[in-house]
Amino acid sequence: MSERDDILTRVRRGALQRSAHPGPHPTPALPGGWDAFAAMLARVGGEAHGPFAPHALGAALAELVRRRAGGGRCVAEASAAELAGRGPFETARTPASPHGFADVSVAIVRGHAAAADCAAVALLERDAPNRALPFLCQRLVLLLPVAAIHPDLHSAWAALPETATRGHHVTWISGPSKTADIEQTLVYGAHGPLGLDVLGIAG
Amino acid sequence: MRRTKAQGFDERARATLPSRGELAQHDAAVWDLRRRRDAAAAEVPDWETLRERAAALKAFALDHLDELLVGFEQRARGAGAHVHWASDATALCRIVTELLAARGARRVVKSKSMLTEECGLNPHLAARGIEVVDTDLGERIVQLAEEKPSHLIVPAVHKTRREIGALFHRHMGTPEKEDDPERLTRHARSNLRRYFLAADAGITGANFAVADTGSIVIVTNEGNADLGTSLPPLHIACLGIEKVVPALADLPVFLRLLARSATGQPISAYTSVLTGPRSGGELHIVLVDNGRSELLANPTHRSALACIRCGACLNTCPVYRRAGGHAYGTVIPGPIGSVLGPALGGKLGAELPHASSLCGSCTAVCPVKIDLHGQLLAWRSERHRPTRRERLLTRAAASALRWPALRGAARGLLRPLWPLLGRHHPRNPAEPWLAVRELPPLPPKSFRAQWQARRAAGGASYSGPVSKPAVRPARSERSERRNE
Repeated sequence: MSERDDILTRVRRGALQRSAHPGPHPTPALPGGWDAFAAMLARVGGEAHGPFAPHALGAALAELVRRRAGGGRCVAEASAAELAGRGPFETARTPASPHGFADVSVAIVRGHAAAADCAAVALLERDAPNRALPFLCQRLVLLLPVAAIHPDLHSAWAALPETATRGHHVTWISGPSKTADIEQTLVYGAHGPLGLDVLGIAG
Repeated sequence: MRRTKAQGFDERARATLPSRGELAQHDAAVWDLRRRRDAAAAEVPDWETLRERAAALKAFALDHLDELLVGFEQRARGAGAHVHWASDATALCRIVTELLAARGARRVVKSKSMLTEECGLNPHLAARGIEVVDTDLGERIVQLAEEKPSHLIVPAVHKTRREIGALFHRHMGTPEKEDDPERLTRHARSNLRRYFLAADAGITGANFAVADTGSIVIVTNEGNADLGTSLPPLHIACLGIEKVVPALADLPVFLRLLARSATGQPISAYTSVLTGPRSGGELHIVLVDNGRSELLANPTHRSALACIRCGACLNTCPVYRRAGGHAYGTVIPGPIGSVLGPALGGKLGAELPHASSLCGSCTAVCPVKIDLHGQLLAWRSERHRPTRRERLLTRAAASALRWPALRGAARGLLRPLWPLLGRHHPRNPAEPWLAVRELPPLPPKSFRAQWQARRAAGGASYSGPVSKPAVRPARSERSERRNE
């Protein structure tokens, strides 16, 4: 008997009963929208900007990126560059070697859905194919349509396309990287980005 | 490292937190996490129904674990991952070693995984010349200190900033006496980046495995697991078989509870759902039993497998807060460690269920509603073999309760000796806990004597709540008595 079959046999012995699945959790009534999202984002260490009308997004992003990058390298995923138009950043090639992003100051990525109750933004592989980029950069900028903000994590999760897990990754990001491992002092930028900005896109 | 050869819980506790200052700091730090958890829970209107749903989902998952494991395996393989099965720690270590050896991997970055701690993977790999760098900051601190984590979420909570500064000075070349947390964190960030970029493989645990998609879910605040899985070409994920949940749609229930219960955050900074290998990479998932299937077959204790490793039961436990995680002598400390400890066997198993006041606070905060204090009590009765002294004392107590005259005599004998017990015999072998506590002073008269005196004076009556109002004096009568 293989190790797999051996384990499964023992597990079957432990199946003492066959309870029913409890079903979906009833979605709570929580405040949603940009303001609720922005307030929660501030609590988790991020900064919300806007929302901006689509035609004003490019200028707002360019101004923010110049401020954050301090002359460093800025890279946008193709889906984000498509939203923002041309700006002071290069567009990432796909597939690119992940190690090639080690010197990136600011990365710009498009978010697909967000939950206002925890300020988590979902990045799909199709929008953010270079998985190392949002973690290697010093600062991360997310572009988020306001219409993609849901009041809670349940509804935001349900808004992911069925094909989401056909790609390699779905990443939910809530605030910058952080740690409190040294005497419980909160420090941003443990390994991933030191800061997170979210630009809202109105309409 | 605060090394100790001490074998007992209390000796290990004294070695972990040797001074009153360190004990107070540990207590305050851990209690602060509990306070944050309470504040976060209070903000969630459906908190209790969320806990109930999480408990029901975990119960379902354990009841259907065989089907869910097979479903997970099929879908993970369908997505391009390799799935391995390990019956025990030896098998896990062998599988990981072979995977690394086959690819010539010598440098490994690892994110937090209590399972690999449980299975002794790090020392196993180190003995074979493979460099494993723990990348969670807390885990890196205890790795450099050659210690074990003392908490599930904050592994180095027992260490002071000064101790960490000295460690970093020795291992990372930080300035001498640097103990600022922000600057130390920056040094660690810069130091560990080099390891991430040079790694041949990344080893992670997983918080959940999803049966209906074959995905694994990794939750961190630092982003270390994401760097460890996106830079090296090989990703090995090691997870216990109990981590499987039925469906992707079930995850928000657990994610809304996990970080709030752990640190009071609304959600951890990074929640990564990984399905199959990344482009150009390999993903190997090792499903580990190591005693879990045996626990599953135990109707009293199987629900301990529902644990989502949030650490809330540690933060609230009065014993953990004052003893520190190393006192438990197990990989997982605190109430959940004491519940899981006996299942893993060994000498420590009989001792740990007693490292609890049975106050029930752990049960009250558990996000998946594990009856932790009930289980601790059950383990006590299952594992504890009373000593001769305990048997004698129990018999004496039973006799005293049976014969009131004997009880009165014992009380009369004990009364003059009482102050001596607490103050002059702090290490009285009859009660080890007198070593750290003083007995409260006895009132001048016993309860029985006070009761009799009040009855003689005509004032003895019970005015507290009673279950049968009919036996209480009438309201007018009671108010008259109060007025007397």
